[in-house]
Amino acid sequence: MVRMWGLLACALLIGAADAQTIKIGVITDRVGVSKPYSEPATEGVIFGADEINRRGGLLGRKIELLVEDDQSRPDISAALARKLVEQGAVFILSVSLSPATQQQQTVTMEAKTPQMTPMNSADYLTTQLDNPYFWQTGPLGSVQIATLLAHAKTKNFKRVALITDNSDLGQAIAKAFKGTLEKAGIQIVAEEVVARGATTAMPQMQKLRAANPEAMFLAGVLTAENVLIFRAYKELGVKFPIHSSYNLSVPIYETVAKGLINGITFVDAYDPDKPEVKAFEAAYKKATGKDPQNLHGYGYDGIMLIADAIRRAGSTDKEKIREAMQKTSYAGVMGKKGMKYSFPEGKRAGFDPDGMVVRVYEKDRQGRVLHVGTK
Amino acid sequence: LQDLLELAVSATASGCIYGLIALAYLLMIRPTGIINFAVGEWAMVASFGGFILLTKYEWPYPLGMAAVVAFMILVGWATERIAVRPLVEKGAPLLAPILALLGVLVVTREIISVSFPPDPLPVPFPFGIGRLEIGPIGGSYQSFFIIAVTLAVFAGTWFFFEKTLWGKSFEAVSLNRRAAALMGINLSRVTALSFAGGAGAAGLAGLLVSPNISAHYLMGVPLAIQGFTALVIGGVGRVEGALLGGLLLAFAEQFIARYAPIPSGYTQGVPLLFLMIFLLVRPTGLLRARA
Repeated sequence: MVRMWGLLACALLIGAADAQTIKIGVITDRVGVSKPYSEPATEGVIFGADEINRRGGLLGRKIELLVEDDQSRPDISAALARKLVEQGAVFILSVSLSPATQQQQTVTMEAKTPQMTPMNSADYLTTQLDNPYFWQTGPLGSVQIATLLAHAKTKNFKRVALITDNSDLGQAIAKAFKGTLEKAGIQIVAEEVVARGATTAMPQMQKLRAANPEAMFLAGVLTAENVLIFRAYKELGVKFPIHSSYNLSVPIYETVAKGLINGITFVDAYDPDKPEVKAFEAAYKKATGKDPQNLHGYGYDGIMLIADAIRRAGSTDKEKIREAMQKTSYAGVMGKKGMKYSFPEGKRAGFDPDGMVVRVYEKDRQGRVLHVGTK
Repeated sequence: LQDLLELAVSATASGCIYGLIALAYLLMIRPTGIINFAVGEWAMVASFGGFILLTKYEWPYPLGMAAVVAFMILVGWATERIAVRPLVEKGAPLLAPILALLGVLVVTREIISVSFPPDPLPVPFPFGIGRLEIGPIGGSYQSFFIIAVTLAVFAGTWFFFEKTLWGKSFEAVSLNRRAAALMGINLSRVTALSFAGGAGAAGLAGLLVSPNISAHYLMGVPLAIQGFTALVIGGVGRVEGALLGGLLLAFAEQFIARYAPIPSGYTQGVPLLFLMIFLLVRPTGLLRARA
């Protein structure tokens, strides 16, 4: 009996300590297909939460992150969202794959718990479900393509080639590229696919060379196969410029495709000359000793947007947080200079459609911004 | 014509990789009858070995290459000891070690995937990135290096089987295990050596291909399938069959992708089509074993 009372006392004490913190759930991917993207984003979230806590926390309380791993699997992610709600999370931050984030919404909508993803790019996340508790601040897939093509338009291309891989996402992006290119009246003179597990992209690149396009659009998302494409490009000595999807914005290419990527342009949401980015990079380096990537910035902006909403709500009441979040107007690390996240006219996708940039690889480093927005 | 010759060099190099994987299957299947799909994972392990020794610790290439191949031979030997021999000694049917080796495949891949970062990792080229022209024939340094090493390996293997007593004992075991044992040939030693040799060949393939395709934990299965297809085309009867099968497969793949008037997405089906046709029409492969 005494022991039971002891346990109860302990539980109450822990409960009291818990009341001091504001709990924010994070659903990430530690072992699945999204791991290369989710891990840096989660590091950005953790860095942001530490920074807020160092500066005195939120509403006088510390932030406590409850991190769960859904392996990018929709069948697991909803149960984890439920677990986080039951543990008292007032907000859930989703940084695994879009389909998993979508599944979590079934829980957050019913439990009336605010949820946001700072990096998922699928357009359907805020259009398929009418969930007033969900927001998306990553750049949408359609915005990425529109920005890349806006830059391409300045070059007046008439004939281009399109190359991708046979992954689901690679095929989907190629389809979107094709649609937008054709709508712009640009002729696609060759369309090639490099299969996962190929040992060379030589035949495909020879075909492209024979078709003699003015530029090549790269929609592939498999790193190893993209490297094969760059290798064949270099080996065949072809000269047409390469315009790539946001996949090339992941800095892994700086090491794995060394010597092959100079001059490739790619769409990104990260401008290294932006004052917020410079401050973020310096602070991150000071705190962790490592240089952050654009992916860290997505996670950092996510936790900062949540903190901003809770601060303006002045309470941890989920309904008040929801109202505050919908009225967001916040300038973060991601996006072009001066861009603010906002959700006008009841929309819940908050990345400015004109907020992306086109950058270029200079030698083996991600370099300067060449173009801004979709105009 | 320049395109054609260029593609021929590239296809020959790819074919040599497939051929080495097919050789790995063949070395094990002939004396034991066991088909080991973990060869692809062995190639993967060797590429990660290449990443550690050559990229991370920057060993000189020949030393790193020798160390990786030696390590793979050890891995093959250990696999036979742990996953195959206990089953054979207990008189399990042939399917048992084949399934155990599928287990080895999964375990190997998972160990690598949790021990290394998720992104593909670079493995260096022994002669850097560059182009070599021999008369009208041009290709990357790496393509010519792959071709040279593969030819040397196949020549060595052919010599071993045809001209040495040890090789003859392998042949004897593959013809008739019981009779070979009665002649005093040590069956378990032959089996252990065949696995060691198989892992060496697969490891070499992985190391040679990884500067192009990078080291990553999902690279094994495609290589295992390509090598298996090459083996089916060439037949298990003779060592040259593995190389012939690999070359035919790679030429078909790349020339169809280049010249056939079908959408690029469909050309991935070509190897599987080849596999089905050969299994249906000529299951023994192109080259038959000598009587």
